[in-house]
Order: sequence, then C-alpha cells, then structure tokens
Amino acid sequence: MRPIPLAIVVLLTATSLATAPLYNSYWMHVAIIAMMFAILAASWSLLAGYVGLFSLGHMAMASIGGYTSALLVKWYGIPIPVGMVSGTVMTLAVGAGIGWICLRMSGPYLAIFTLGFAEIIRIILSSEDQVTNGMAGLRVTPLFDSATRLPYFYLGFVFLALSLLLMGLMVRSRWGLFLRAIREDEQAAAASGVAVARFRILAFAIASAFAGLAGTFYGHYIGIMTPSVGGLDLMAVLVVMTVSGGIERLPTAVGGAFVVEFLLELLREYAQWRLPIFGAILLLTMRFARNGLLTPFWLQFVRLGKVRDDAAPGIQ
Amino acid sequence: MSGSAELVRGAGLNKHYGGIVANVDMDFTVEEGDLIGLIGPNGSGKTTLINILTGHLAPDSGEIFVGGQRTNGRPPHIYAAMGVARSFQVTQLFGRMTVLENLLVPGLTRRHSRREAVVRHARETLEFLHMGHVEQLEAKNLSGGQQKLLELGRCLMLEPSVLFLDEPFAGVHPTLRDELILRIQELHQQGRTFVVVDHDMESILRLSRRLVVMARGSKIADGPPAEVQANQAVLAAYVGL
Amino acid sequence: MSWDYLFVQASNGLIIGIIYAMIASGVTLIFSILKIVNFAHGDLYMLGGYFAYYAISLLQIPPFPAVLVAMCGVALLGFILERLLLTPLYSDTTERKDEYGLIVTFGLAFFLRNIAVLIFGPFPLRPPSFVAGVQNVGDLIISNDRLVAGGVGALMILGLLYFMNHTIWGQALDAVSQSRDSAAIVGISPRRFNSAAFCIGAGLAAVGGALVAPIYSLRPDMGVLPNIHAYVIVILGGMGSVWGSILAGLFIGEAETLFTAYYPDFTRAAAYSNAFGLLILMVVLIFRPQGLFGRRHLRME
Repeated sequence: MRPIPLAIVVLLTATSLATAPLYNSYWMHVAIIAMMFAILAASWSLLAGYVGLFSLGHMAMASIGGYTSALLVKWYGIPIPVGMVSGTVMTLAVGAGIGWICLRMSGPYLAIFTLGFAEIIRIILSSEDQVTNGMAGLRVTPLFDSATRLPYFYLGFVFLALSLLLMGLMVRSRWGLFLRAIREDEQAAAASGVAVARFRILAFAIASAFAGLAGTFYGHYIGIMTPSVGGLDLMAVLVVMTVSGGIERLPTAVGGAFVVEFLLELLREYAQWRLPIFGAILLLTMRFARNGLLTPFWLQFVRLGKVRDDAAPGIQ
Repeated sequence: MSGSAELVRGAGLNKHYGGIVANVDMDFTVEEGDLIGLIGPNGSGKTTLINILTGHLAPDSGEIFVGGQRTNGRPPHIYAAMGVARSFQVTQLFGRMTVLENLLVPGLTRRHSRREAVVRHARETLEFLHMGHVEQLEAKNLSGGQQKLLELGRCLMLEPSVLFLDEPFAGVHPTLRDELILRIQELHQQGRTFVVVDHDMESILRLSRRLVVMARGSKIADGPPAEVQANQAVLAAYVGL
Repeated sequence: MSWDYLFVQASNGLIIGIIYAMIASGVTLIFSILKIVNFAHGDLYMLGGYFAYYAISLLQIPPFPAVLVAMCGVALLGFILERLLLTPLYSDTTERKDEYGLIVTFGLAFFLRNIAVLIFGPFPLRPPSFVAGVQNVGDLIISNDRLVAGGVGALMILGLLYFMNHTIWGQALDAVSQSRDSAAIVGISPRRFNSAAFCIGAGLAAVGGALVAPIYSLRPDMGVLPNIHAYVIVILGGMGSVWGSILAGLFIGEAETLFTAYYPDFTRAAAYSNAFGLLILMVVLIFRPQGLFGRRHLRME
C-alpha cells in the first residue's frame, strides 16, 4: 500500500485501540460483533469474490466452529484457547470436505448444495437437544472473566488483524492470481497449469477455517451458541454486507461488514424497516454498482499521494 | 522424421457424446520438430482430439502418452506442467485480469519459478508479440486478433515443447494473421513443435510440414502437404461430407 | 397402523406433492428461459397467500376468485421485478450472468421476506376456508380445503402441460428454452418470453400459496421451506424439464409425508423429513451435478 493511505490506516487503528477504554459498553459490543462479521465477510469474499464459489454454508461453518469449541470445553474441560483451535481445525477439515464434494459443481448448484448443507447442520443442531440444548441455546464458557468487554475488543482486533494479514498475503501471492484465474475461466486456468481442484479445496478449507475461528470467538464472547447462527437469515445478512461493500476485495468486504453492522445498530428504533432497507440496498448495488458501493472509495483511497501513473505489475 | 523424440502420442482413442461419434480409433503422434496442420470438415473430431491429448477430456478408450509416460486420467494442469500447451477455439482469457497478469498465471505455475524472473519473461513475451504497450489493459478489452496473440503468449509462458493451437486464425484480420504465421514460424525455428487446427487453408499450407486430415472421427490421411492434397479420399471427404 | 391412516397420509402426500409440483415447475420454467435459478420463488408463493388473504379481507372478494386475484397480482409484481432487476441478464455487457442471477434473486428473497414482515406483520394469519368441513375416512378426516387445494393444483398443472405442449405460445416458450438464437431467427422475441416465463412461474407459485393458506396459515417466512423443496425437486427432476419437476414434486411430497407419518420419534419427525429431502438432494448433486432427468446446465454466455 502507498505511504499516505497506509499512514492513515495505521493512525486510525492506533487511535481506536488507544481510546477503547473510553468507549461506551454498548458500542464496544457493536464493534466486537462488527469485527467478527468482518472476518466472516473477508473470508466469504475469498471464496465467492476471488474464486467465484458462492457458498451459502459459510455461517454454518461458523456455527460448527462455535459448537465444537463449546462442547469440547464443556465435556473435557480443555482450556478455551485449545477449544478454539480445535473448532478452527474442525471447520478447516469440514470445509476441505465440502470443497472436495463440490468440485464438479458451480454457480447455482453449488449455492443450493451448500444451502442444503447449512440447513441440515441447523436441523441437526436444533433437534439433538440432549447434546446441544437445541433452540434454547448451548451455554458456552466465556473466554475472559472480566467486568468490561475490553479484553474481547482487543482480542477481536487481534483476530481480525491476523486474519486480514493471512488472507491478504494469500491474495497478493501467486495463489491469489490462481484463484482469480479460476473464477475468470476455470478451463483456461487448468490449461495454464493451475491445479484447479487443489485450489478450490484449499479456498474452501481456508475460508471455512476463518469462519470457524469467528464462530468460536463469538461463542466464547457472547456465552451462548444457538442453531440460528448458521441459519439462512444471518447468511443473508452476510451476503448483504459483503456484496454491498464489494465482493471482490478484502478491504471493501470488511468495510461492508462494519458499515452494515453499525447501521443496523444505529437504526435500531426502526426495527422492522432495517432489513428491507438493506435488502433494497443489496438489490440496487447489484443492479447499478455491481463492484460494490465502497469500491470506488477504496480505489481512490489507495491512490492518495500518487503523483503519476507508474506501470507496476500490481495485483489488486 | 523417425528418430526424433516422440512428444505426444494418442493410441486407439475413442470418444462418443450421446449419439455423436467424435473420435474413432484415432492414432496420432507428434514428434519433436513437427509443424502439423490438422484439418478436416466441421465435426470431424479435431477439437475433441486436442481436448483428449491435452487432458481436458477423458477418452472412452485408448491411451495417451506424453514424453513416453502414460498420462490417462491426469488433469489438464499436469499436461501443462509436462510441456503440452493449447489454445482454445473461442479465445478463453482471464478477461478481467490485465494482459500481464494473464501471462503471469501460467508462468507462476512452473516449479521453482521466481516472481521477478517470471515478470521479466512475461514482458519479453509481450515484446515478442508486439503487445508490450497494452500490458496493463484488461484482457477483455483487447481486439480479437490481440486476444489470439495473448493466448499464444499464455502458451509460451509454459515453456512448452508442443503447442496445440485450435483455430488461431479464425476471425483474425489478414495483417495480424500474417504476423501470427511469422511468429509461429520463428518459434518453430527456435525448436518448438506445433499442431495447428484451422479452416484457413492458405495459412495452414504456408505453415505445415505435415498434414493430418480427419473426417467423421478418424484419420484419413497423414503426410507431406503435396501428397495429402493429391489424395482422393481427402477430396471426397471435403466434397461429400 | 390402519389402512385408513395410510390412505389419509397418502392423500395428504399427494396434495402436498401437487403443490410442490406447481412451485417446482415454475422454477424450472424460469430456469429454462432465463437460465437462472430463482432463489426468490418461495417468497412469491408467500406473497400469493397474502394477496389472497387481503383480497378476501379488504376487497370482500370470495375465496375462490381471490386465488385468481392473487395469481394475477403476483404475476404483475413478477413482471415489474423482472423488468427492474433481471434485464441485465439479456445484455451482452453483463459478465458472469450466473452469479448475477444468483445474488439478485437471493437478495430479492431476503427483501421480500422482510418487507412482508414490515407490511403484514410477523404474526400468522389465516384466511377463511374455501369449502368448510371435512371428509370422513373411517375414524380419520381429510379437510375439504386440502381436497380443494389438491384439485385446483392438479388443474393448474394440467393446464400448464396443455399450454406448453398444445398452444403456440407454449411451444414458442419451449423453442426459446432450447435455443434463444434460433427462436430469434424465426421471429420470436426472446425478451417477451423472459417476462412471460417469469410471470407464469410467479403466478403458479402464487396459486400454491393461496391454496395452502387456509390449511397452514400465513407467515412471512412460509416461503423458505418451499424454496428449499423446490431446489430438491428441480434438481431431482432435472433443471429444464417441466415434466421431471412435476414427477419429482409428487414423489417428494409423498415421500416426505409418509416419512413423517411413520417415523417413530414424532418430535423429530418433521424436522428430519426436511433434512431427508436435503440429503437426497445432496447425494444426487454429488453423483449427477446436472440432476436426474435434466438437460445439462446451459450457461447464458
């Protein structure tokens, strides 16, 4: 990133972190949830925006991660970090499995299949209530024994930063080129030497792992896991966030998550109006600004300080 | 040219789609240094043959060998890694990626490749194709002829020993077509082997050292152009259909 | 269990199957012509139910004509939505049309579901019966409304099949679904047929919703499950085959009802019957990504 935008990002981040203790508890909660959604949106954009695999099972992966960690901690008393790692590893494996199963599917078939997967997971989690406590929700041991939400805020930030760093490295590397090539033209990518199957599975595995991480964090923060976490409603919200922000870039997906989450809270008094409005925003975005509403702003932002066009083999 | 290394060989290839017979008992050998023109009426199975020999399609029966190794069932990217490149009948580029990125993709799939070296190689390839000035353009914004050239470039980035070009001259402006022919001849002189499919007889005859004619899924002639052109069966195939 | 129980459950299954078949054939029709999967189809079904309800309660229209009103109303809405949102699918400058259709209809479903909560409220509503009363089968009963739903549904399906096979418009639709270019050459305007297909599909879904409303009552999210069922059915029956969807719809309706009726653990039965359908769907997709009867998935570009 160019020096000026980078400086701005660092400055804003440092300021928000340093002033965090002053935040009102409610808005801190909103920020934490926003960071969780940001991880989900970024990882989903990796799958749907970079590779072009429109999976509707992403929230189900978060759900699997959260429940895995919660149950392992509850049954075996393992330390929570170990539980969280296990939850993430579990979703990595499940994601790889789904990716492998879906190798020959694309477009709407993949969406339908992953929708089916998400629904089955939700149904099982709701029905097997001896294990999961069903719709009432499974109580989860909180990560920190703290009076304020501050530790969760900082930890959430660490997770978000780490996730973006890892995903960003992947996207900027040759793997990023390969993933985009697969989306552009899978056959041409194969003819160019890209191991398509391997990368599709890899993308699913990695994206799902990040979703699982977000899910474990959610569980051990909120203190409860419900089957609706993996449900279609939340998945739809994730789609709204990522697509209206900009599905093809990590920063715009993250931006979409933050904007939508904060708007959802700001508009809380207009309870019934919020969701139809966001639905309408999604439709208008697709119809008139398919790259995402935040994309033009982001593209301008990263150009700040650019004096003249230099021909660099950039990847963006 | 016996005694030359056999690069790609298809033996006894059969392929049906539903009721359509695309390849029947096809034997096809590409030897090092060949410049083969693969011709035949529409529907004679040429593209199917290329798809099979480059790993994009599995034959119903028969075997494929690349560099002596049996490669049945391997995915297309393995063929690419083994030095078998192909272009598509209808150009298939990475439309929203830049021209340079289109070349970086195949370059970076090669083992032990390093980014700066690949970027340099890509730029050299673009220069060779006289396309250096459009490096940052999105591939979908190129003209038809430039897109064909870019596909050729994409093949070259694999450092292939054999290139299968499927209708490289289709819809290309005559000047650009002549340039394309020159490039292919230059590359051939540098040691690359070509199999070119096209309906543009003039260009094929200018290029080819060896003509293979297919009709209704099988090979009906294989030899030097002069010999093939005089072959009655070939004439019958084109006229009789 | 008795023969009476089997008869009642099998009849219920048939009726549900007919409703599924109506919804699924609409999805298939839209898929054949517009080449997209309509993720909002279940919500059109939901709107059909609500339109009928308000036609009866606000406009004092009797129940049977209200179904017709609902059908026309939702078909009109479908036309408007198609013109507003789906026209990019027909232009050459739109890339990745599959993805566009997917996201737009998915977003539309989200929008319709939530605006229904806003406008109609989240609480269940129930319109009056078509024909009050029940039929006795031994000690068991089948409500007349169910029989009406089955009967009208069957008529609609037969009507659709007749339309597709024996009328000029229907055959033209079939031509466009096979090849847009040839249809254009013969002088048929594909654009008009996109609207027609979407409207017919929407109308069929709406009738389903209106017929089912007195039986199961109306909720803004009542379209979610039928949506999922529609995909199961369409993929089983094969994308692009109206006949296949009808047969698959009947089969799934019957299979689910009987599964629920005979599954030992009653509390879990209903939930797992949905999962059962989904499992079949997933298994089919794994082995035949193009469905059982279907023509291969044709992309628009």
